[in-house]
Amino acid sequence: MPHINYQARELAFKIVYYGPGLSGKTTNLIHIHSTLDPERRGDIVVLDTEEERTLFFDFFPLALGRIGDYSVRFNMYTVPGQVYYEASRRLILDGADGIVFVADSQPNRLNENIQSFQMLQESLTSYGVDWKEFPLVLQYNKRDLEDLLPVGTLESRLGLNGIPVQEAVATAGTGVIETIRIASRAVIEKFQL
Amino acid sequence: MNRTGEENSNSIAQKLLELIKRSGALTALLVSKEGVAISEAGDTSYLNTTAMAALVAGMFSATREVARIVGERQFSILLQQGENRHIHISLIHDSKMMVLIFEDHQRIGLVRHEARRTGEDLNRILSTATGSQACEKIGTPQFKEYALNLIDRIFEAK
Repeated sequence: MPHINYQARELAFKIVYYGPGLSGKTTNLIHIHSTLDPERRGDIVVLDTEEERTLFFDFFPLALGRIGDYSVRFNMYTVPGQVYYEASRRLILDGADGIVFVADSQPNRLNENIQSFQMLQESLTSYGVDWKEFPLVLQYNKRDLEDLLPVGTLESRLGLNGIPVQEAVATAGTGVIETIRIASRAVIEKFQL
Repeated sequence: MNRTGEENSNSIAQKLLELIKRSGALTALLVSKEGVAISEAGDTSYLNTTAMAALVAGMFSATREVARIVGERQFSILLQQGENRHIHISLIHDSKMMVLIFEDHQRIGLVRHEARRTGEDLNRILSTATGSQACEKIGTPQFKEYALNLIDRIFEAK
């Protein structure tokens, strides 16, 4: 459920980019941030290590605009992908209104994708969220590589029939905006007070 | 009697304002554990409150994990000491953080004392159930339609 600040008349939704390490979550976020009009975006906060691995999270607020008396905002987060940051991931997922799962399309990353998605399922379940009813978009990233996991692989392995899917090359910006458009629409459509 | 979210919000803003006056602190924020500023008082002109709220929530969450590692359920107060400005963060109602930013010439003892008093008041306010009558307009089909149109407008032009 989104956060309502009655004092400032603000409504804030939380969208989290989730996925295995080095799948392109931060690249997605940076591309979205760079393409938005300056008045729609707040400063991007990137907390990474010297090797450019996300340490805690990346974050920026996206202003949707005013609807009635309220200004509506999407707070965009990434989580660190590496397995040993599970505690951080769980904390950032808390209160999420929608998730983009950024999968790495390289066949040798199939197990990491599956493991990461299973962690996501477990975390959502522990927060009492029915992940099958939750706004969730699956992005197959790195589609510019030669050897690729066919679209449909993760859906069939993880039982994700009917989930919205988007192919992307985040480094080139391809499919990134379409992904966030699908995700933010799903968040609004599922939203109820 | 249950209070609406809006009534709660007004009471919280009032308490934070009183805290600023009594403690002499620069800024007070109430932040949700999801990283959103719920209420603010004092001078916020020098501060990106949106980024601040997200970072404080992350910091407090990390600290909670540290507490668990050393066998504590949580640490209820965090104090960040700088050269000129300091930050006092206290956990409120198990799910929110009250952030007080104060300058070096202000007395830490007074800040801590007043933060504790206000924390108790906020706990009481937050314990009364929050209704959602004040935001009935937000969940309507018209609201959703307008929001979906905005999303398409923002992202389709890219």
